[in-house]
Amino acid sequence: MRMRTASAISAGVHIAVLLWATLSFTGKSFDAPQPDPLPVDLISDKEFSELTKGIKEAPKPVEKPKPLVEKKADEVKPVEEVKPKIDDKKPEIKPTAEQVPQPPAPPKPDAIAEKLKSEPDPRVAKADPTPLPPHKPPRPQPKFDASKIAALLDKREPERKAALGSDLNTSPSLGAPMGNAAKLSQSELDALRARLMALWNPPDPGRDAERLRITIRITFTRGGMLAAPPMVLTSGSGPRFMAMRDSAVRAVLIGQPYTMLRPEHYDSWREIDFTFDTSEMYKDLPTR
Amino acid sequence: MNRPNLLAHSRIHRRGLLAGAGALALLGSRPARAVLNIDINRGNPQPMPIAIPDFVAGSPGDIEAARNVTSVITNDLRRSGLFAPISPQAFVERITNGDAIPRFQDWRVINAQALVTGGITRQGDGRLRAQFRLWDVFAGQQLDGKQYYTGPDNWRRIAHIIADQIYETLTGEKGYFDSRIVFVDETGPKDRRVKRLALMDQDGFGVRYLTRGDELVLTPRFNPTTQEITYMAYGQGEPRVYLLNIETGQREIVGNFPGMTFAPRFSPDGQRVVMSLQQGPNANLFVMDLRSKQTTRLTDTPAIDTAPCYSPDGRQIVFESDRGGSQQLYVMPANGGPATRISFGDGRHSTPVWSPRGDYIAFTGMIGGQFAIGILRPDGSGERILTEGFHNEGPTFAPNGRVLMFFRDLGPGPFLYTIDVNGRNELKEPTPSYASDPAWSPLLS
Repeated sequence: MRMRTASAISAGVHIAVLLWATLSFTGKSFDAPQPDPLPVDLISDKEFSELTKGIKEAPKPVEKPKPLVEKKADEVKPVEEVKPKIDDKKPEIKPTAEQVPQPPAPPKPDAIAEKLKSEPDPRVAKADPTPLPPHKPPRPQPKFDASKIAALLDKREPERKAALGSDLNTSPSLGAPMGNAAKLSQSELDALRARLMALWNPPDPGRDAERLRITIRITFTRGGMLAAPPMVLTSGSGPRFMAMRDSAVRAVLIGQPYTMLRPEHYDSWREIDFTFDTSEMYKDLPTR
Repeated sequence: MNRPNLLAHSRIHRRGLLAGAGALALLGSRPARAVLNIDINRGNPQPMPIAIPDFVAGSPGDIEAARNVTSVITNDLRRSGLFAPISPQAFVERITNGDAIPRFQDWRVINAQALVTGGITRQGDGRLRAQFRLWDVFAGQQLDGKQYYTGPDNWRRIAHIIADQIYETLTGEKGYFDSRIVFVDETGPKDRRVKRLALMDQDGFGVRYLTRGDELVLTPRFNPTTQEITYMAYGQGEPRVYLLNIETGQREIVGNFPGMTFAPRFSPDGQRVVMSLQQGPNANLFVMDLRSKQTTRLTDTPAIDTAPCYSPDGRQIVFESDRGGSQQLYVMPANGGPATRISFGDGRHSTPVWSPRGDYIAFTGMIGGQFAIGILRPDGSGERILTEGFHNEGPTFAPNGRVLMFFRDLGPGPFLYTIDVNGRNELKEPTPSYASDPAWSPLLS
């Protein structure tokens, strides 16, 4: 009998403790600062394969792009070097030491061969038992004449070329393992954010400044203008709310046109929600 | 952009179908695509460019009044430090009708973010009708519009009221332009100064003298609810605290205390006056109910307790006391009780005054022979100095708690200055001669 009472008490106390623990240890979730959202586009399988398949009729690379140099150096005649002949059919390399260098075979429209030809493989050159080119007599050292400095100046016209993206990367894609959809880059986002931060003139904060947040949805045209009047998603009332809301809308209106948004990424910035809040601004007021 | 089909399973029973429909309905309420969200958590607070073309006069006789009203509004907004009125020479459009919609494009090109148009018309009965409209230039819409009727002598107040309205609409805070300052006007050589109580608009215009100067006057304070002032005067005999009605000129002594009373201040409801009473080498705080004339002792310490000031809710009193060895600030319940020290910064702290907004207490700080104006929170945290120098003293808050006025003496005599609670926008207040001990009135309307 006593045993049973004891067990009952024990069970009761256990249940009470467990209940208490369940109720009181629920605790607060850890609040991590929300990371900046990255632009994400949901796409279907079909769209993915369309993005990754490449273009069949893309022009094949034939020529090596011209090097981007400020000044073109004089043509340096190759010292009598025998080029290894490279042929698809005959991958074997023949030593051609004693032979007179033959004119190279007409180039075939083959990218790899072309590339290899223009850049002689150092390994091949090493294996080649070609004798060293005949030693030339040393050229007489030109005497430096201070009165003829003008003659020493390089008078060639500089050849400038703009380093466009198409110059730097000319290889047409024949398909890539990863789909790289056009999306708003971080630098565009930063430029957009910086522009609005510079233009936003928030009203002076009251005591509850940190709690006022205004979200505005903007629909843009492709030219970076507002396609429709700003839509305020936050509801509120009172002069403080209205002054804050108007200041945010004003900043968005003044910021037009948003030229930092590139038209090729239009799909990702056609519609943006801007959230304005002053929470970061008044954290660091000077104290004594 | 396909959404996963929730009903793709071949075998769907009734409940599943319902659940699926519910889920679809939920999804349907969301936007079809993920909208990019950008946080703008930092702004660039700057004086807002505002265009205030001259108000349109209803008749040729009103041109001067219209111009005066415009200049008072412009001056108020400029002095607040929150607005940058644009020079009229830059204006493209000439406003000839205060009621017409302006050509916003013309105001955008001069980068005016807000535009004020209005008119002054004399009515048949001699009164002035003043109306204004506030426009958001970039949004192309009217933000506010009001009209007022007043006697022709009251045009200055009407201008201040319009400026307050513009200020409130654009900043979200109550304005403070339609308010007055009572202060001690000082004239004559330093050893024989004549001190008179004087009253003026917050912008320094319309000075009026309230006493004749045959007695020494100190620490005038406004009643927060009526046009009444309490102050201390040294005439013949003991210095006493007086009440003065600024409309009728009537004055009376507060309480019948056996000794010097000083540092009076009204309670927020205007029904009581709290002050210091000298008792031997000590001073203690007393409160007097103005209707029942009943007095209550609030402190009883062998120290000098003075400069009491109520919190805006009337529940607490902040005062200075040297009970701990040096002058520091203490807070206690309004009906007396244990006091808590709140000032722990360097040096001594005196003349505390509670902001009407309740968020700060301003004080005079004394460190190494320098007198500074500072603020701290009512719990004693966040103490900071707004301005310091040889002699700065006696802060008083504007009705919206955003601006402080104080007096500064650089040697020959004191002048009044204003400064924002953030320590910026320090301005000298125009006064007819030397001036000290300012007290800001509540809003008149």
